[in-house]
Amino acid sequence: MSEIVVTGIGVISAVGNNAEENRQALINGKGGISDLSLFETHYAGLRPCGEIKTDTQTLKTSLDANEPEVTRTSLLALYAFLEAISDAGLTQELLSESDTALVGASTVGGMCLTDELYHDANRDSNGSPYLSEYDYASAAIYLQKRFNIGGIVNTINTACSSSANAIMYGARLLKHGFCKRVIAGGADSLAKFTINGFNALHILSPAQCTPFDRDRNGLNLGEGAAFIVLEKEIDAKHKRRYARLTGYGNSNDAFHPSSLSDNGVGPQLAMRQALSVAGLEPDAVDFINAHGTATENNDLVESEAMRQVFGTVPAFMSAKAHTGHTLGAAGALGALYGILGLYHQEVYPAIHFTHPIESTGLVPSEAYRPMSLRNVMANSFGFGGNCSSLIFSAL
Amino acid sequence: MEKEQLKLQLKQQIIQFLNLTNVKPEDIKDDEPLFGEGLGLDSIDSIELIVLLSREYGINIQDPKEGRKILVDINTMVDYIVEHRTK
Amino acid sequence: MGIFIHKINCISPQQTWGDIDIQTLRAAEENRLYAREPVYDGIPPGILRRMGRAVRMGVGCALPLMKDSSPDGIIIGTSNGGMEDCIKFLNQIMDYEEGMLTPGNFVQSTANATAAQLGLMTANRNYNITHVHRGLAFENALLDAMMWLKENPGHNLLLEGLDEISNYNYNIDYLDGWYKDGNVQNKDLYATETKGTIAGEGAAAFIVNNNREQAIAEVKSVRTIHTNNEADLKSFLRRFLDEQISGEIIDVLVSGENGDSRYAHYYKAVEALLPDSMVVRYKHMFGEFGAGSALALWLACRQGAFPHHSIKRAMPHTAGSILIYNSYKEWQHGFILLKRMDPENS
Repeated sequence: MSEIVVTGIGVISAVGNNAEENRQALINGKGGISDLSLFETHYAGLRPCGEIKTDTQTLKTSLDANEPEVTRTSLLALYAFLEAISDAGLTQELLSESDTALVGASTVGGMCLTDELYHDANRDSNGSPYLSEYDYASAAIYLQKRFNIGGIVNTINTACSSSANAIMYGARLLKHGFCKRVIAGGADSLAKFTINGFNALHILSPAQCTPFDRDRNGLNLGEGAAFIVLEKEIDAKHKRRYARLTGYGNSNDAFHPSSLSDNGVGPQLAMRQALSVAGLEPDAVDFINAHGTATENNDLVESEAMRQVFGTVPAFMSAKAHTGHTLGAAGALGALYGILGLYHQEVYPAIHFTHPIESTGLVPSEAYRPMSLRNVMANSFGFGGNCSSLIFSAL
Repeated sequence: MEKEQLKLQLKQQIIQFLNLTNVKPEDIKDDEPLFGEGLGLDSIDSIELIVLLSREYGINIQDPKEGRKILVDINTMVDYIVEHRTK
Repeated sequence: MGIFIHKINCISPQQTWGDIDIQTLRAAEENRLYAREPVYDGIPPGILRRMGRAVRMGVGCALPLMKDSSPDGIIIGTSNGGMEDCIKFLNQIMDYEEGMLTPGNFVQSTANATAAQLGLMTANRNYNITHVHRGLAFENALLDAMMWLKENPGHNLLLEGLDEISNYNYNIDYLDGWYKDGNVQNKDLYATETKGTIAGEGAAAFIVNNNREQAIAEVKSVRTIHTNNEADLKSFLRRFLDEQISGEIIDVLVSGENGDSRYAHYYKAVEALLPDSMVVRYKHMFGEFGAGSALALWLACRQGAFPHHSIKRAMPHTAGSILIYNSYKEWQHGFILLKRMDPENS
């Protein structure tokens, strides 16, 4: 499958409204974790998040998305989608062709409207405008309707690895000839629902999160969206091509509903499968964009798994310290950052890291530096043991 | 409230909270470990039991690790409740 | 190239489990067809206690099929997953004003909980995925399985579609106009001339692989389209039929007609394109839900006659080639083309 290439990218996160802004934030080690200011929750001053500081109404106006039912998740998706299709030069005509596919991912969907959902689900009013928008598929269906996308449309939810699986599914659609181009990625917005959920599990940090640090104290939630456009290389000869998508792996850790096994069997399998699909030896991977949520469990297990797979672990970092954990968007964000590094041949520094985990001694990349990168891996692991790895390769 | 009565009440609350549909209060022995063997509870259950202590007895435990010292068996839980309850 | 179905299981509002009897139609209660859940003796009580209905049905339906050999992948389609747990957690957030909350419902509410639980209970570390694309969740899961088996010949996959009725998603969809206002008996569903339908739930699980021998059915193709334009739907189906069967007739159309007067025209249009086919309906048996086409596939690939109450248009031919058509919430349309096989002569 060496012939699948990335021809467009689009992203919005707490560190930037487009790919270049995100890249500059990564280069300069600028994080986007802050106190919540756009929606009301008990945890507003208590649990910092990667919040995008553009309110929903402003997003609606700027995107000309004035349907009363459109949700923040759909708006973020639209934002990143527009950048990706414009970057890849996909016209409205092409989007409505039957060989254009869209694969989205979300774990929150319209549930970002926690209060409205509460009232609608308990039927204590005549219904909000959002009745048809609560489910996970709402963002992808919104995009499908808005752009009249003519081919296969899907939404995947494997918790925090959702959009990595969306990219994998998109690549496979392409490979099997079910489409000629696919826009794949994911979107999630911050919600009272997820903040309370992760808080109830005692894995939200009260401060800036510190991935792979000995003293890490839990994750910061974030919001965002990222989409990439995949095409066959033969159809994209005259286009800018950022990278090849060469490997993917999906495995289940089969250990616990909300934490990973000590030696990271699932993460190891996902990484090994991705290597095998790409036909690469571990030492061909020059950089890993790690899942790195900064929970005690994830970072230790992921470190252990990387050591098992790679022996000498290549340069790695986690952008969760910049954007927070964007859940259904995280896999696509991680992939996109990997693609940026590969395209610009550079490695971004980890931020908020001080001491390595004692048992592993692993130190994430310390400074920005230009570097010759051949292959980059992006990891995503989710609740329910859903682990996925993607590999992108330089052209 | 008598300790024995409190034990029974706590067992009923645990069964309800953790949805242990096949378990009766008399199945839970006072000195049987709640985690690992015995009822076979896990880390998510321990968080649920901390919430139980908060809602039913007004006992707020912030650190789940602290909780593990209290959530050993029915005896240790009841002793802790008697000493620290605020409702 | 198609894939072959070898084992099937179904938990539904009808007697589709154990001593299967679908000739007798079980009635809906207040416009809801609740699944007749079996005794889940394969699920340890310590695990069962945490499961909501969706996960319980999904795991209970699939687990017996995984007994003999662990599949090389678990592929699930569900529009909502564990909605009940999701809203239970939401209610906690509101009732306790974001205070101390129990995380159990939150963990179980993720849509991937069924696939995850199946992986966990059977120590299955293979491909594991959950498709949630509303009314096309199962069609996408099926397409995933077809691609996977082409990539990995010789693999066995567990493919499943499931959804639950909770009071909450019933309320939301009711407010959104998808269910009927007055009380409707499911046996009279198609005679109504009002908007909306009745709610349903269930799970249908399949073991699929590339092996023709001893197979129950062959799924030849699955196609989906998003549109509310009847002409587009018709030309889409025409192209599909031209490609797939080029002039042969489809013996049976399994139609997702649901009694909603607003969208009956889609089903009529599809029926009109297949004038020589027998027409069978299933929503009066299972109700309406996102992954409902999984149950239609179960019904289609069972051997023997279709239940008398399901037959809309009778035809003399036996069921060989079958087309399942389902439309969901006006916009999503899925077609599954299969061929029933006679296990004796394969």
